[in-house]
Amino acid sequence: MARKMLIDGEPAAALEEEVTDFDFDLFVIGAGSGGVRASRFSANFGAKVGICELPYHPISSETIGGVGGTCVIRGCVPKKILVYGASFGGDLEDARNYGWELSEKIDFNWKKLLQKKTDEINRLNGIYKRLLSNAGVKLFEGEGKVVGPHEVEVTQLDGTKLSYSAKHILIATGGRAHLPDIPGKELGITSDEALSLEELPKRVVILGGGYIAVEFASIWQGMGSTVNLVFRKELPLRGFDDEMRAVVARNLEGRGINLHPRTNLTQLIKTEDGIKAVTDHGEELMADVVLFATGRVPNTKRLNLEAVGVELDSNGAIKVNEYSRTNIPSIWAVGDVTDRMNLTPVALMEGTCFAKTVFGAQESKPDYSNIPYAVFSIPPLSVVGLSEEQAIEQANGDVLVFTSTFNPMKNTISGRQEKTVMKLVVDAETDKVLGASMCGPDAPEIMQGIAVALKCGATKAQFDSTVGIHPSSAEEFVTMRSVTRTVAAAKPRTSL
Amino acid sequence: MAVATSLTVTTPKKLSSLSSPTLHSLFFSKALSFSPSSSSFLSLRKTLLLSPSHHTRTRRRSFTLSASANPHNYDFDLFTIGAGSGGVRASRFAANYGASVAICELPFSTISSDVTGGVGGTCVLRGCVPKKLLVYSSKYSHEFEESNGFGWKYESEPKHDWSTLIANKNAELQRLTGIYKNILKNSNVQLIEGRGKIVDPHTVDVDGKLYTARHILVSVGGRPFIPDIPGSEHAIDSDAALDLPSKPEKIAIVGGGYIALEFAGIFNGLKSDVHVFIRQKKVLRGFDEEIRDFVGEQMALRGIEFHTEESPQAIVKSADGSLSLKTNKGTVEGFSHIMFATGRKPNTKNIGLESVGVKIDKKGAIEVNEYSQSSVPSIWAVGDVTDRINLTPVALMEGVALAKTLFLNEPTKPDYSYVPSAVFSQPPIGQVGLTEEQAVEQYGDVDIFTSNFRPLKATLSGLPDRTFMKLIVCAKTNKVLGLHMCGEDSPEITQGFAVAIKAGLTKGDFDATVGIHPTAAEEFVTMRTPTRKIRKTNPSEGRSESEVKAVAGT
Repeated sequence: MARKMLIDGEPAAALEEEVTDFDFDLFVIGAGSGGVRASRFSANFGAKVGICELPYHPISSETIGGVGGTCVIRGCVPKKILVYGASFGGDLEDARNYGWELSEKIDFNWKKLLQKKTDEINRLNGIYKRLLSNAGVKLFEGEGKVVGPHEVEVTQLDGTKLSYSAKHILIATGGRAHLPDIPGKELGITSDEALSLEELPKRVVILGGGYIAVEFASIWQGMGSTVNLVFRKELPLRGFDDEMRAVVARNLEGRGINLHPRTNLTQLIKTEDGIKAVTDHGEELMADVVLFATGRVPNTKRLNLEAVGVELDSNGAIKVNEYSRTNIPSIWAVGDVTDRMNLTPVALMEGTCFAKTVFGAQESKPDYSNIPYAVFSIPPLSVVGLSEEQAIEQANGDVLVFTSTFNPMKNTISGRQEKTVMKLVVDAETDKVLGASMCGPDAPEIMQGIAVALKCGATKAQFDSTVGIHPSSAEEFVTMRSVTRTVAAAKPRTSL
Repeated sequence: MAVATSLTVTTPKKLSSLSSPTLHSLFFSKALSFSPSSSSFLSLRKTLLLSPSHHTRTRRRSFTLSASANPHNYDFDLFTIGAGSGGVRASRFAANYGASVAICELPFSTISSDVTGGVGGTCVLRGCVPKKLLVYSSKYSHEFEESNGFGWKYESEPKHDWSTLIANKNAELQRLTGIYKNILKNSNVQLIEGRGKIVDPHTVDVDGKLYTARHILVSVGGRPFIPDIPGSEHAIDSDAALDLPSKPEKIAIVGGGYIALEFAGIFNGLKSDVHVFIRQKKVLRGFDEEIRDFVGEQMALRGIEFHTEESPQAIVKSADGSLSLKTNKGTVEGFSHIMFATGRKPNTKNIGLESVGVKIDKKGAIEVNEYSQSSVPSIWAVGDVTDRINLTPVALMEGVALAKTLFLNEPTKPDYSYVPSAVFSQPPIGQVGLTEEQAVEQYGDVDIFTSNFRPLKATLSGLPDRTFMKLIVCAKTNKVLGLHMCGEDSPEITQGFAVAIKAGLTKGDFDATVGIHPTAAEEFVTMRTPTRKIRKTNPSEGRSESEVKAVAGT
């Protein structure tokens, strides 16, 4: 096969001459977003590709996974389905002032939704398998291990082991939820189980302030559960724009979620009445379900990476260079297992870049600038570029902050007391829009187009010159005329 | 006269205490006696419009002159007729720039006429806002259906109470018209209630009182038009449809434009039996052909019956009060309402335009140059009355541009390129830039990227909803020329992309942007392979219409 290898600037010839007769050009461990994308694209470039994945089940473990990976089976997709389901809760309330007379008794059947969700995930799992076979990628079911720089071993369900040689090995095994080490932790669940509970819990305690915690809080609240959200910081969503964090906190509270900021759980106790979650303030919260949304860790433990000398960081993530290559030249890694930016579209980008670099004769580095993303809380939050705090830290000159807080038109009649907040952060010197964020209905859909503009360095003037679409929420982004505040740069100016 | 309340800015207004006839004659005699200066000002303006940078200076001088030593003691620097989107915007901005401004508007009513209107105009009172509120309300029936697929169950079928909706809608409109009045007040714009009529190039008559102004702005908008067929007195227009005393049981909507489709969606959602009669084969003439097909299909799936290539000929009211619509193809009976959404006409009648020589085009729209100036130099016009692009945000843009041109020494032309727009049909449409047909005609070689998919929500709800997206890319420059979408959230999604397309970004820029997962919008940045490439074999030769269509259809 006529392929150009990239070996950190060295000529590709050396490696190609070294070994000639591999079973595969590429063997991928893990068929999630990144792995499937890299496999398919590599195969399209003419590579002979094998991929292995654990057997399918909604709840992951060391030995359970499924083609499609976290996003499809235990993340984005099932989560969004539940968010859709939960959103109807608020929608029904809003409908009344629009003239709709609803029966007193409205029933929400969790089991029905769960079944339909599982059906959909099964369908998608099948689609992903077909995608692989249509691309000519050979799929093995079983647990993959790295045996040598060019050798993988797949332990199948029945215990038999298969061994294959490959010119390149790609690790795309993702990550898994991490449980805090507190007494009674076995009483708690992770997001995997939360997406597949037998019964809808009446009372929930969620530990964590990240996007997963916030999303599940909204899901359960919308379905009628009582939700206590416990997190260590003053506000949820650390790392996001502070102003937007406050907006999210206000909205969660407004929708009826009990927030416990600057709080941690110290232990879980099983009682007659359910699980007693004890906080570090001595408070006791009773729950049917306690969810730990306390971070995720890369799945690197059982891959035998140490044996072949692949370097990991202190979090257990595989260390890679900007081409997703590990310190072992024939071993590469993409997606959450590298803990760069743990998002499906980023894993897709990394997978595509990998395939182009290794098999497409096109050196490609993933570009991590201005990546938009969303938190599917109800209402959702979406951002692209820098937060106000980051902008102030990074900008050379003054930073202009434009904000718009408004009552969305739908609320004028529904009576819902919930403001939409939008924000643009602009470099005063260059007029470039450095960051955009929004919390309110449709924020993720609205942000995508804004992200294209930011990605290409759009200026505030270019935003202003765009005519609005009326009446929409999105039009606020092009009609922010007066600056809300100007913040002096943190960096001292130099004339150098 | 109430003029005295806003005497804070620029021009002297001592005359305001005088009675109108005196004022009028006074102004007139002065205008005549100082005619040389007046004409030099006008000629200055003309040249001014040719070369902005040069004229900013000239103009400032002329203004300083006129402000201090101006012989005309006008009541106002600007008198605006019509307090809709364009008029209010222009007036506020003009006042902010230091001008003394008055605006007149007809008394508030939900139905417009020669004697009723209301501060806020079409958008707020009879257009965008009430329409969208009704869309919100009507969308719930679809959401209830969807919710069944997500595990929600209702003991009894949700029922809609029309009067609750209309009462809440009207309360909101009252609130908004109040807000608009406050906005004017806070900007020091004097609001005069009544019907404005132009008497001469610098004088407006409002119900018998005369006001003089250096500039007159006409922003009286447009009104629905019902063709004159037998029985047309039984038909309603969109004004009435937004404020009916009761919900139509069975309604005929005549027209295939955006208003027709929006109302079809509204009444269908509220469980009326909806029939749409269109003259052509497809709805939404002027839109991208694929979008036209797609939205028609989706709306039909939701239960709207389309009668294509049927022109209305007569409406007959039967003894039981029901209406039948006779068309070139036959008669459909049993309608409780027949609505005409057959276009809108500029409100240019009986406001004195002809008498002062303001040129009006065949459709009755005021002819203006690119600075919104009419054939009479002191008379300007913005918004629907000029029939350029009849959208609220465009009227706002024209209003701002005019205020800058007149009172900020910044001659500003509204920029009509890549104006995005939406149709709030169900499902809605968002679009910006060229249609495929326009792109082929203007650029010849274009690449078309399309995506037609079942959104995640529909896979769960089991409803037949789909989403269609389309990018039109110039093959030579890789620039994105047009973007079209029909499906949930299309209007919200389109806005951000409009910024990108307005900024001249390429397909490569779209591709370089990472998606937001899982959204519908991410499809626009993940369209990898063109659905078709349209190539002109001989681009230098003139293209005939049929040739363009043949290629576009491939």
